Amino acid sequence: MTTLYKSFRRALTTKDGALLGCIFSLENPDRGTYAFSTNHERIRGDVEYEISGLTHLRDENTRAAWVDTLVTYWKIAYILERDDVADVSWSKAYEGQKDLLLAMVRGYTKGNWPHWTLPVMYQICLSLRTVAISSDDQARSLGKAPEHLEDAARYINKAFTLCISDRAPIEESRKWGTYYIVNLMFKTYFKLNSVGLAKNILRVLPASLADMPPLEAFPKSHIVTFKYYCGVVSFLEEDYGNAETHLTYALNHCKADSIRNKEYPLPQYLPAITRLKHTRLILTYLIPTTMLTKHKLPTPELLSRFPRLAALFNPVCKTIKSGNLQAFDAALRHGEEEFVRRRIYLTLERTKDIAMRNLFRKVVLYQNEENRTKIPVRQFQIAMGCAGRGEELGAGGYWGGNDGNDDGEHGEVEVDGDTVMRSTPERVEVEVEEVECLLANMIYKGLMKGYISRERQTVVLSGKEPFPGTVV
Amino acid sequence: MSAPPWRSGSTNGNNRNGAFHSVNSRKTLSSRPIHHEGTQTLTQTSASEQTPKTQFPDKLKDYVARTFEDCPPEEKVAVELELKRIITDAFNEKVVWSLEWDKMPLPQAILARKKVTAKEEQTAKTLSMGQMSRVSNETGSSPSSPFIRKPNYSNAMDVDHPGKKRKSTGSSEELTPPAPDRFEERFDKRSRQGDKFLPTSGKLSQREKDKRAKRFEDERREYLPGSATPEAPDNKKPLIGRCMDLEKRYFRLTSAPNPDHVRPLHVLERTLEMLKRKWRSEANYSYICDQFKSLRQDLTVQHIKNDFVVTVYEIHARIALEKGDLGEYNQCQTQLHSLYREGFKGHEEEFKAYRILYLLHTCNRADMNELLANLTPADKEVKAIKHALEVRSVLAAGNFHRFFRLYLEAPAMGGYLMDSFVARERKAAMCMICKGYRPDIDIRFLTEELGFESDTDCVNFLCENEAADLIEQKTGDKGVPNSIRFQTAKALPLFERAKNAAFSKVDIKGQL
Repeated sequence: MTTLYKSFRRALTTKDGALLGCIFSLENPDRGTYAFSTNHERIRGDVEYEISGLTHLRDENTRAAWVDTLVTYWKIAYILERDDVADVSWSKAYEGQKDLLLAMVRGYTKGNWPHWTLPVMYQICLSLRTVAISSDDQARSLGKAPEHLEDAARYINKAFTLCISDRAPIEESRKWGTYYIVNLMFKTYFKLNSVGLAKNILRVLPASLADMPPLEAFPKSHIVTFKYYCGVVSFLEEDYGNAETHLTYALNHCKADSIRNKEYPLPQYLPAITRLKHTRLILTYLIPTTMLTKHKLPTPELLSRFPRLAALFNPVCKTIKSGNLQAFDAALRHGEEEFVRRRIYLTLERTKDIAMRNLFRKVVLYQNEENRTKIPVRQFQIAMGCAGRGEELGAGGYWGGNDGNDDGEHGEVEVDGDTVMRSTPERVEVEVEEVECLLANMIYKGLMKGYISRERQTVVLSGKEPFPGTVV
Repeated sequence: MSAPPWRSGSTNGNNRNGAFHSVNSRKTLSSRPIHHEGTQTLTQTSASEQTPKTQFPDKLKDYVARTFEDCPPEEKVAVELELKRIITDAFNEKVVWSLEWDKMPLPQAILARKKVTAKEEQTAKTLSMGQMSRVSNETGSSPSSPFIRKPNYSNAMDVDHPGKKRKSTGSSEELTPPAPDRFEERFDKRSRQGDKFLPTSGKLSQREKDKRAKRFEDERREYLPGSATPEAPDNKKPLIGRCMDLEKRYFRLTSAPNPDHVRPLHVLERTLEMLKRKWRSEANYSYICDQFKSLRQDLTVQHIKNDFVVTVYEIHARIALEKGDLGEYNQCQTQLHSLYREGFKGHEEEFKAYRILYLLHTCNRADMNELLANLTPADKEVKAIKHALEVRSVLAAGNFHRFFRLYLEAPAMGGYLMDSFVARERKAAMCMICKGYRPDIDIRFLTEELGFESDTDCVNFLCENEAADLIEQKTGDKGVPNSIRFQTAKALPLFERAKNAAFSKVDIKGQL
């Protein structure tokens, strides 16, 4: 008797869902022996014999469904184990995985599989996705069109329906699997670059939320991921308010102390490295979001824990702080490829407003106390054209003092942005109309209080808090 | 063996036969030895020329008798109508003597088949337009041609007028009776023919074909159990038209395309030249658009994909842009997008730039991100793309000053595209100006900043937005009017409203 059958029997008798799920994982170490244990002719007989006598399988339908599932799984194992690694036909394996998923669906619909076997569903959906990706890679290398992942998404959708449409009492409902499957679908849609489809799920989901347990009742691992995807979808839709809410929720629940949850159904002992990765992913979107919504830059303490995020955001953050617009543009150009790839370019681009606000604020602070309400447009024009090199801007040079230029921000970031700075041009002349236009912009967006008087070529600033929220 | 006469070389000959594909294949099923056919046709046709119309062949009489023999009374009316149509058609097409009436399916059978076609179309309706035309193409014979013997008829035409039409090679070969095994020959001739056509029309990958074949296999099995076509009709060959007219009105197909009304590629090429000439001389957009749509339809139903198709879509897209027809433009753009991706050549950079501007118009941020991610460094050096990217970036920054400058210096047709969102952006800019400038502002300044051609245009714009009351003339010291001013503060709510309305509706059919 191969180990696989032993695990299967044990899982069924002890109702160990996780163990049962592992059997159908692509990483199951017993797969090899299982594949070599028999042949196509005899596999069904073998399975029937090996799993006979289990109390759980007294129901004929339940038993038949398990036999089918194990036989189908064996066929996949056969393809994956008995061919040379280089020759494995992933598309054949994919077809097998699809059959496996369908056998699983029958197991739940006809075979009355209980809800504690949900990990089986998870593993089967997960490996369908993994195999589909391998198959598509193989197709691409053969010059064929990759289409299995798209197909896989449709099949995972069947599992989603299985979960969400279960009418059993909530304690033993498949509804507990909803978020796991939804996350898998999100993951697949993102991989396929079709955020639109992801939005579709979010449209469908609320309808069935009514008879679902509250979010907090679900395993945290499911919920954190779910919230992360909700956040990213909102982010991409420019709904930054919601993005912030979702991502903050995800971040707070992804913290070290909350990760040791042993809740039903899958105990998730996430290794620290995975947790860090998750946090980093959340922060990749949360940082630009907060920069826009709250005008907050990430603190050095935060970034110091994530070197990759530091490399990503520091150059831009630094220029925002200094209000050096030329350097800001350079930093954005410098990281453009990476930003675009992570879909944060268009968001970061908009933080230029804050950089500009900081610059204009410096112009105001540079004036004598009594002149601070009426400032010639020319002053702003000079400032905008200035391309001083970061530090010099504050220290000496044109701006004189270092007067309180940073107190409005939350924490300083002083990681090296020099490579970016050096490539910036010396000076750019900006037309006075453009300066006025951008000043109007600031005023319109509420970053500055006051108005422009075109006849006098002056900006008349509010006496009280001309730059709301910055202590000036 | 030498090629059958209707196949020999010339494109037109091919077209004709290809167009009849489904019908043809059915013919090959007839148990009758086929090698007689050619000769028979020849003699029969000449006979038919001399026979007065009012006479009926005996076999037709039998056919009519058979029709009513097993006709259920409740279907009688429909069957009678159908029969009438069949016979009239046969007369009109002068095939009444050449048709093998004893092999002809009874009107009942034809009606049943029509029902099936209708059903299939029902299912096809859910598919997109492009797919739909393919579907109907697949379902075999067009409902209007129930003559399974039609190929013969077309042969007859060839024989009757050798060399009259450019298409037949008109050699003596045509009159030679085909060899005994000709139907097999013909069959795989056709498949080879298909291969030959691949570069122009068969850009359908094997995978797609298989998929389609599978899809229809199921349907056929379901709808046509043991019907007159046990052998699947040769449905993988794209249709090839035989219409020689340069002009054709657009008609959205509701059934399988009729090859008689579809123009083959070489005609379409001349059509395009003609349309270009006409557009230059007459500039009648509704006519041109209609013609281009039918041109595109003919290309689609024949599955033609090549650089010529790219040209057609590009020209139509440009014309649509010029006329501000964004719906039509977007359809072209969608097609171009996939054609470029498949490697067909055209003016890809130019249209990439348009696409950026178009995405700005539709405020589609997700796709914009996608597009940015796929731009190559070389793309970014192209003038038009550079311009479009700059437009994008200044819009993001709310820099209306630069935006309207870029509007005035847009390369190629970019200006036309920008027209579509300039009005909207003007309102947005007015909001900022009204908030930022106090207490009032010179009209001339607005004209310049908002890219108007004249002060009058600017005033008109203000009036259109119900801000006429806020325009006032200022006089200098000696009562001489020196400037027209606009009161900004009071106008802000007006433009806020206008702006929100303008941004709320961006709706385009066929959104890519």
